[in-house]
Amino acid sequence: MSTIEALVRDHRVVVCVGSGGVGKTTTAASIALWGAMQGRRVVVLTIDPARRLADSLGVGVLGDEPRTVEPAVFTRLGMKVPGSLAAMMLDQKGAWDRLVARHAPSEEVRARILDNRFYRSLSGTFAGSYEYMAIEQLCLLDESGGYDLIVLDTPPTKRAMDFFEAPERIREFLDRRVVRWFVTPYMSQGWSAAKAMNRTVGFLFRRLEEATGVSALAEISDFFSAMSGMFDAFAARTQTMHALLRASSTAFLLVTGPEEQALTETEFFSRRLREMKMSLDAVVFNRVHREFAADPELFPGGTVSRGDEALIEDVLASAGDLDGIDTAWLARNFVDYQLLARGEALRMEQFRSGLSRRLPFVTVPNFESDLHDVAGLVGMHSALFGRGAARRPRRSGSSRPPAKRASSASSGGRRPAK
Amino acid sequence: MTVPPRFLDRRVFVVVGKGGVGKSTVAALLALALAARGKRVLLAQMEPGRRLPELFGLDGELQGPSEALPGVSLMTIEGEASLSEYLGIVLPVKRVHKLVVTSKLYHHFVAAAPGLRELMTVGKIWYEEQRMDGERPCWDAIVVDAPATGHSLQYLRMPQAAATAFGPGLVRREALRVMELLRDETRTVVCPVTTAEEMPVNETLEMYAQLQGELAMPLGVLFVNRVHVAPVAADAVCAPPAKAPALVGDVLRCAREEAGWASINARYLARLHETIEIPTVELPFLFAEEFGLAEVRTLLGTALPGLGEA
Repeated sequence: MSTIEALVRDHRVVVCVGSGGVGKTTTAASIALWGAMQGRRVVVLTIDPARRLADSLGVGVLGDEPRTVEPAVFTRLGMKVPGSLAAMMLDQKGAWDRLVARHAPSEEVRARILDNRFYRSLSGTFAGSYEYMAIEQLCLLDESGGYDLIVLDTPPTKRAMDFFEAPERIREFLDRRVVRWFVTPYMSQGWSAAKAMNRTVGFLFRRLEEATGVSALAEISDFFSAMSGMFDAFAARTQTMHALLRASSTAFLLVTGPEEQALTETEFFSRRLREMKMSLDAVVFNRVHREFAADPELFPGGTVSRGDEALIEDVLASAGDLDGIDTAWLARNFVDYQLLARGEALRMEQFRSGLSRRLPFVTVPNFESDLHDVAGLVGMHSALFGRGAARRPRRSGSSRPPAKRASSASSGGRRPAK
Repeated sequence: MTVPPRFLDRRVFVVVGKGGVGKSTVAALLALALAARGKRVLLAQMEPGRRLPELFGLDGELQGPSEALPGVSLMTIEGEASLSEYLGIVLPVKRVHKLVVTSKLYHHFVAAAPGLRELMTVGKIWYEEQRMDGERPCWDAIVVDAPATGHSLQYLRMPQAAATAFGPGLVRREALRVMELLRDETRTVVCPVTTAEEMPVNETLEMYAQLQGELAMPLGVLFVNRVHVAPVAADAVCAPPAKAPALVGDVLRCAREEAGWASINARYLARLHETIEIPTVELPFLFAEEFGLAEVRTLLGTALPGLGEA
């Protein structure tokens, strides 16, 4: 059984990716906690308001600044945590306002953007800003030097690739050459100049205006001319982001579930990831149901199937006192779970056949409760890191992982294709 | 709480919810329910995804509406294609239309003009709702499988935002028409989907507040998917008696797992009922090796009484 122990040990940044509703946030938090238990200084950057988790860590409402979990929280639970664990959450609301505030070259430009009528009513609908913020935050944490393990939980969008494309998209969005097309006709030169410069552009503008509303382009134009001042800052940042996401010290962990829905999306997703030169480093299957070995004497077919309920009931009846629990329900439920488990196993095997055999592949069992507290996170450790891994003392010496830092484009080498 | 009278008489059903809770399943279920009443149904996904085509046994990318079952057609609504189609109506000269949509400027315009793609996506729903096939509407009902919550709300917010942002003109006029459709409770109904677990419920409660408040959209039925039920509590499941065969231990373990989830579901269902004022339909967790159209039909059978259609 493979584990992701080496993966987490050898990387500075672990990015948890996958479709929604598969337990990414919980997995990210569990990995972060393990890192802290191994003596590392860890921060987990989440996008989900997992309130009960935040409550149980005693960090209250997570916000835009990392909040460190008080060592007393671990002491109370009888845990030895030689490292440290901090958590932060990115707020979706006002992501663009914060971007503008951070990158506007001057107070005046900032005010001009924030006051633009177009910006005010539409900034809530701009795509990519939130994703950009998350990756930028990742870079800031990386550069701060305050952490030697950063775990990033990515947004549960169906098109999770949006997340990694966001920096590029925003950069394109603010690209000078494009912005000039929008800005020029209305600013210094006016319509006729634009027409003289490029008849087609002028023609197209008029057509698009007719189609979209007369004042629309003027508004957009003003908006872009204000935004264009931010381009340099963006372009520089996106380069850093691009390098960090592809650095050899960054690992991508795919979190998924064994259901058709999750797997269909996950296959699509891992293909896109490869196309973008960000290869997967491990796969975690969450909430996997366990198939028990069927006693060949009882089940000659080797598996438990529908129709075996009566047989199971007989075994239960002769086993002794079961506190009066309805044995018919017990038997039916068992068959149900075994059918489910078998379907999951088949799908996981099929999924795995499309991936490299060397890729660590971990299954986390379906627990009888949802995992939203520290004990639950520790409960995942044996599945993720192998039995006893959490208790193993860390090696002496530096807690810094061997991988080199890669915070600039030059030192961040391309990941070798796997 | 009773189901809105003649729930299935609406024309547009928007299915929203957190990623992974079963929106596509519920959208498919509604489409089957409507088709069973003899309606011509358009089942539209707002993002390219493969789950719905897969459920209906269609391969590959969806282009225009393709009939998946008698009465049910599937399509993907995509902003850029919708804009191009829309421009085809506004710019009826083919040559001009082609010149516009193939130009580099246009592509940058579409990529850059904030919100335009979202507006066109929502606009396309309106367009399909209005579309006539001779004397009668093309579709008797449109079921929209919306993207994950945050994204959905962005789409639904778009017409209002565009109407405010753009000056008088075509865009504003279109935006207002779309808004009128979305807020018309005789034609449109929004159905949230969730599972009865911590995170999906938190998100559902927030979304519910926004749909009711700011967006002012007519709400229909809340679907609670994958509900586990057990006759005992998890801690009431005993340990296997001494010397019992291994099978008994395995059976009790599965019972504990199921009872554990049943109690979580019960807790979060109670939380939903505290706040949510629209009728709730619970869909049981189905134990099956594979989840396909047969399973959707089974769920539909259990949902019909809750939809007032027993």
